[in-house]
Amino acid sequence: MIDFVWLTLIKATPVIYAALGGVLSERSGVINIGLEGMIAIGAFTGVCVSYATGNAQAGAAAGVLAGALLGALLGIAATRFRVEQIVAGTGINLIALGGAAYGLVVVFGQPGASKQVAALGTGGETAMVVAALVLAVLLHLFLFRTRGGLHVRACGENPRAAEVAGIDPLRVRLWATATGGAFAALGGVFLAMAELDLYSDGMSAGRGFIALAAVIFGRWNPLGATGAALFFGAFSALQYTLQRSGIPSELMQALPYVAALVALAGFAGRARAPAADGIPYVPVR
Amino acid sequence: MESRGPVGLVHQHFELVDRLTVWENVLLGREPRRGWRIDVAAARAQVNELAARHGLAVDPDALVETLPIGIKQRVELLRELEREPAILLLDEPTAVLAPSEIASFFATIVALARRGTAIMVVTHKLAEVIAYASTVSVMRAGKIVAQMQTAQTSVQALAQAMVGGELPPLAQRAATPNAAEPALRARRLSARSEADAIEEFDLEIAPGEIVGIAGVEGNGQTALADALAGTIPHDGTLELRGSRGTIPQDRQREGLVLDWTIAENVLLGRQRSPAFHKGPQIDRGASVAFAQEIIEQFDVRPPRPQAPMRGLSGGNQQKVVVGRALAGEPAFVLAYQPTRGIDVGAAALVQSRLIEARNAGSAILLVSFELDELFALADRIVVLFRGRIAGTFAREGFDRGRIGALMAGGS
Repeated sequence: MIDFVWLTLIKATPVIYAALGGVLSERSGVINIGLEGMIAIGAFTGVCVSYATGNAQAGAAAGVLAGALLGALLGIAATRFRVEQIVAGTGINLIALGGAAYGLVVVFGQPGASKQVAALGTGGETAMVVAALVLAVLLHLFLFRTRGGLHVRACGENPRAAEVAGIDPLRVRLWATATGGAFAALGGVFLAMAELDLYSDGMSAGRGFIALAAVIFGRWNPLGATGAALFFGAFSALQYTLQRSGIPSELMQALPYVAALVALAGFAGRARAPAADGIPYVPVR
Repeated sequence: MESRGPVGLVHQHFELVDRLTVWENVLLGREPRRGWRIDVAAARAQVNELAARHGLAVDPDALVETLPIGIKQRVELLRELEREPAILLLDEPTAVLAPSEIASFFATIVALARRGTAIMVVTHKLAEVIAYASTVSVMRAGKIVAQMQTAQTSVQALAQAMVGGELPPLAQRAATPNAAEPALRARRLSARSEADAIEEFDLEIAPGEIVGIAGVEGNGQTALADALAGTIPHDGTLELRGSRGTIPQDRQREGLVLDWTIAENVLLGRQRSPAFHKGPQIDRGASVAFAQEIIEQFDVRPPRPQAPMRGLSGGNQQKVVVGRALAGEPAFVLAYQPTRGIDVGAAALVQSRLIEARNAGSAILLVSFELDELFALADRIVVLFRGRIAGTFAREGFDRGRIGALMAGGS
């Protein structure tokens, strides 16, 4: 039982990080379809820097920074240039996933997977699992207890009203999307450098999209999204537990995704996104 | 531009965050803090104090989206007052208020002015100007064309200054024969739009009759209009004989394709009519001739069928919409705020054309938030409150006081 709970947490953690990133940016009014790419770029950059420096912490920091930069790229596209956010996010996924696949050949001289690098180890894994839960609570407090959080929410609901009140919606959105990118990249760092010690092509495996579902399932609320990610994690853990039961493994691997789909289909109608989520804002001034 | 102190602006369309509370909206950007977090108790106290000082009672913890429109305006006003503005600008502040709310709203504003705030109201309701303002400036085509003391002027003088001459009188109402069969008959009509709903609505309109719908915005007008136009599903029965013309509530979103020309726009709704086809192709000549007809009848400027719609002023755009709806003597006309946001001259023209359509035998449903317009045009007024009929008045029995009371939910 303890094993199952721990496995659930391990499987949920990358999704929690990405979902928190999604909650933050969507609360400010930017839909982040690029979470998947931000997970991948966090994982890949972390592994590369760790490989180059031999320092896992430096790798992790670099991974987070890369996620923030990719988030900022989406943020600038969505605010300054008012690009359709779904298209921009999809573009970011293509760039990040393709870039990482190509980067494997450039940096490690081999396709498919990187060499093994210095990683964060079991201690790091435990710390990052706990940190994900702590981050969820902190983000909740930020959004619902602080001025900054109120301003983020105002920008996601009615950016014009926020601007009238002296808040710069474009700056808030850019900041929220970049920070959200850093959160998602933490999920990638966890995958590649805490659970494992290498980057392999496609290792994000749709977790960014599951995180998007978790954002909706969790009603754009950090704690709710965390709960939804744990739900996904539990089905992933279940899949490992049931692998010995003789059911074809491909079918079992699909289980968490099917569970997410069913949950979302049954739930999405009742959830209400921030009113200005995904709508580019044209400032008055 | 110079001002001594901050300028507050209350928008016609509120700039509130619907899913935040009243205090969050009022203090947005200036929230009191204690340590890392917002001091909610202090914020609540601050809003309560502000509300008490100005006599604008609100519940600081209410979610704005749950509030009626008059209270939302109060919240918007409080947000501006919190900044202690030297000048307060109000843009069409009474457009969304019931007559009784208007009186108390102006009581607040006048009290504010007595305490030393300069107040500027932008409005097209001349009677309110005369009743509450001390001075008035008339703007036409971006220029101030007249400035006077309110005490020394009148509604008629202001209207003249706005038009730049005598306003032509409205078309005469002709006696219309009593028809055996109504043109439109709705029985127990229920429908729900995004904005509002109607329940068990009964209505008959005879040929040659204008029925006016009075009510504060949001009491079922949109649902009624959309159900009659057939754009939302409804329960109950709806019988409509013959053709219909529609003047939708938002000409730019529902009425026109702004990037098309006048000739292309007047074709909309008639695109399947054989009169506008030559074989499988659209008969461009016929649509240009049709546009020319509307342009002449309604004095549309510029008078070119090939002019792109986007280049026309709001009043001229509306003339095209109305002309298209009334062409061909439709049996039923749905007119939703046909003079919203257009100048007095264009409004008078539109109103006259509606009366002429009525005289020619069209049955007209007129939804308007202007009692004056309803009084001028309607043969019968139906008051709508919370989706139900609160009262019906025949033209001989129009009573401003009683209609106003019913609009506000009184009896």
